[in-house]
Amino acid sequence: MAEENAPHHTGADRTPNEVIQEYIKYEKIKYYPVELTGEIKVPKLTPNSMIMVKPQLLTGKEALERLGYPVGGLRPDWKEVFLAKMGEILKKYRSVKLFLDICVRCGACTDKCHYYLGTGDPINMPVARQELMRRVYRRYFTVPGRLFGSKFVNGEDLSEELLAIWYTYFYQCSECRRCSVFCPYGIDTAEITMAAREILNSVGIVQKYMHEIIDKAQNIGNNLGMQQNAIVNALEFVQDELIETTGIEDIRIPIDEEGADVLFVTPSADFFASPHIESLYGYAKVFHQAGISWTMSTHASEGGNFGMFVHNYQHMKKINKRIWEAARALKVKRVIGGECGHMWRVLSSFSNTMFGPFDYLDPKYPRPQHICELTLDLLKRGALKIDKSANEEFTVTIHDSCQVARGMEMGGTEFGQFEIPRGVIKGVCEKFVDMPENTIKERTFCCGAGQGLLGDDMLATRVKGAMPRMQAYHYVKRENGVNFLALICAICKAQMSKMLPTYGFDMEEVGGVHQLVGRAIILGAKEGI
Amino acid sequence: MGGIKFIVDMGLSSLVYAAIFIFAAGVFYKVYFEYYKTPQPLKIPQTPQPTDSFGVLLRMAGDVLFFRSLAKGTRLLFAAGWVFHFTFLLLLIRHLRYFIYPVPGVIAALGNASVFIGIVMLLAMVVLVVRRFLEERVQYVTLVADYFVLFLIIAIVCTGIMLRYEPFRPDVTSVKAFTMELLNPLTPLKLITMEPAHAPSCLLFAVHLGLVCLLLIYFPFSKLMHSVGYFFSPTRNMVNNPRSVRYINPWDKG
Ligand code: SF4
Ligand code: SF4
Ligand code: SF4
Repeated sequence: MAEENAPHHTGADRTPNEVIQEYIKYEKIKYYPVELTGEIKVPKLTPNSMIMVKPQLLTGKEALERLGYPVGGLRPDWKEVFLAKMGEILKKYRSVKLFLDICVRCGACTDKCHYYLGTGDPINMPVARQELMRRVYRRYFTVPGRLFGSKFVNGEDLSEELLAIWYTYFYQCSECRRCSVFCPYGIDTAEITMAAREILNSVGIVQKYMHEIIDKAQNIGNNLGMQQNAIVNALEFVQDELIETTGIEDIRIPIDEEGADVLFVTPSADFFASPHIESLYGYAKVFHQAGISWTMSTHASEGGNFGMFVHNYQHMKKINKRIWEAARALKVKRVIGGECGHMWRVLSSFSNTMFGPFDYLDPKYPRPQHICELTLDLLKRGALKIDKSANEEFTVTIHDSCQVARGMEMGGTEFGQFEIPRGVIKGVCEKFVDMPENTIKERTFCCGAGQGLLGDDMLATRVKGAMPRMQAYHYVKRENGVNFLALICAICKAQMSKMLPTYGFDMEEVGGVHQLVGRAIILGAKEGI
Repeated sequence: MGGIKFIVDMGLSSLVYAAIFIFAAGVFYKVYFEYYKTPQPLKIPQTPQPTDSFGVLLRMAGDVLFFRSLAKGTRLLFAAGWVFHFTFLLLLIRHLRYFIYPVPGVIAALGNASVFIGIVMLLAMVVLVVRRFLEERVQYVTLVADYFVLFLIIAIVCTGIMLRYEPFRPDVTSVKAFTMELLNPLTPLKLITMEPAHAPSCLLFAVHLGLVCLLLIYFPFSKLMHSVGYFFSPTRNMVNNPRSVRYINPWDKG
């Protein structure tokens, strides 16, 4: 009978959680890479083309409790909690408040997002993504909205359906900030996405991949959840490999050595993932050859900080804290960070606010310092003996990681984050070519998996989001014979080593900048600085 | 006749004062309590961001005066947007002649070109409207409110241009007398005693002024706040020196 099929009959006796769980049920989605032409075309709108992508939910009770998020899915009283959380964020983050207020919907950002370019889904246009939150903002947080309701202000009342849309599209933004470069007011969708994710968390919709890692990083100490002895084993294994391949007896990966000059932190993926580990060899060789005493730490065994991906300040702070605790405990003079995009943003831009001033570190050096800053300085001073012919087979290009390119400064200058990694590459390779101008430097495209989207459940999004970068790489490969894509980010490395084969390239063509450095360094025979 | 004139005078004067009050109070409230007082926890400047305050100032000037961020993207939007804002500014400056006595030479000189400026501004706005209408992506994100502002300003400009010509042209001295009267701090008080300022007897003038008042009232509640909001945008106004100068989070001074 018609009446039985009416939606209010089926919906009335279900809890909000049951309703939302049906909306956001995870399904595996097939993905197809596009044919590469070397050109990035702006697609036509194809509404709802990515609406079926729902990342997996975190359901582990203990993890949710430790994170301070509701257990058991969507809270029955979620609407109040939602508005309270949103109100709190609007009071604590000028960025969010202002950006919700001043967008004029000029459309300058609409074709700037790699997810829009890859999918054509209109909600992946940055301004449309922001509008998801702005609709709620106008309805509940502006005077006309409160007085006259949704219709009048183009707002939207809270509903489970809206939540599902939020969960879908705020997890199709890698917070890469490319849109913000072109916005006349610098509106940064990343800030909105971070806020939206925290609001979703507060009502009990917690994405699995990234929050599992936030939990592990806080409570175990690294993203992979490795216990201390596992870390020591892994690093000892790396050291053995190094000694074996280089034939140098005293090359080391020191662990927890008090009194070393340098505490070195890097994403834990560098300990054994490929191609990450090649960069770890590179770092060790640089330290060894420069004669710098350094150490890694089992307490701060993770450089990455997924806490940055969501406006939950406390999580980010707690993860970051381990590094500064280790720095004090080991009595080091400098802290140096390895190759990782968002890690560098947290270290360079946020650490000082959260845990500075770093007056116990050596004021002669930037605090903290990026490994590329160190290596370039050593190269310039001639402190490393380099044989560029070791990289002869490569014509190299660099993917400017979005979090480094737009995350912030390196080398104390406005464009250091572009010049320094390029300087290092040119210092160890003969042939370097940049990708087209609109895909690098401040306009760089994200790899497509950053800021919490690297999970396997997100593969469809990842493949589409990687399209602009793949086109640009294809272009320089065709035009200039480029055959090595250098990276300075652990997530980029993981993503690219999966995307290159997906798009028909050889997986071996991707690697870290310090992988190239490591190959070219001539160990031993020091001629003094 | 006297009765209608009194009602028009009363209505226009009250509207002008109400609009100015709502505009000023609204903008002040937004800027002070919502933008200025809301803390920004972390440094989030956006490349290419200079590493000293002077550089940041220059960058912001480039954004405000030449729309530099916008220029990186769509050329058409940049050109139409810039022409629109620039001619808008010129016409605002020109209107000072109704408030300043004697009229400075620059403003008087602008006067001769004002119809031309108005037409250029209209053309730019037509481009902006058509773009919203025809460009698939922009059309998708455009709201009624966006058209509303555009058409409101178009109406203001059109009535303004018409006011320059017979038979609509009001007596300039009476316009000036009206504005001077409105500027007199005693005039609002006289509203209570029912002695409003004397508006020029010109219907179109009343419409023009009424629309301007509507714009002023609408201003603080709308996206028009981008004009002031820009200066508080943390991706643009923060100095790119997080490592060398510690930035304090106002709610986590730790
Ligand atoms: S570029 Fe900025 S102002 Fe324009 S639509 Fe995008 S976010 Fe809004
Ligand atoms: S921050 Fe990056 S991923 Fe997010 S909307 Fe902007 S361009 Fe797209
Ligand atoms: S992985 Fe690299 S490119 Fe991708 S989001 Fe992170 S820093 Fe950006």
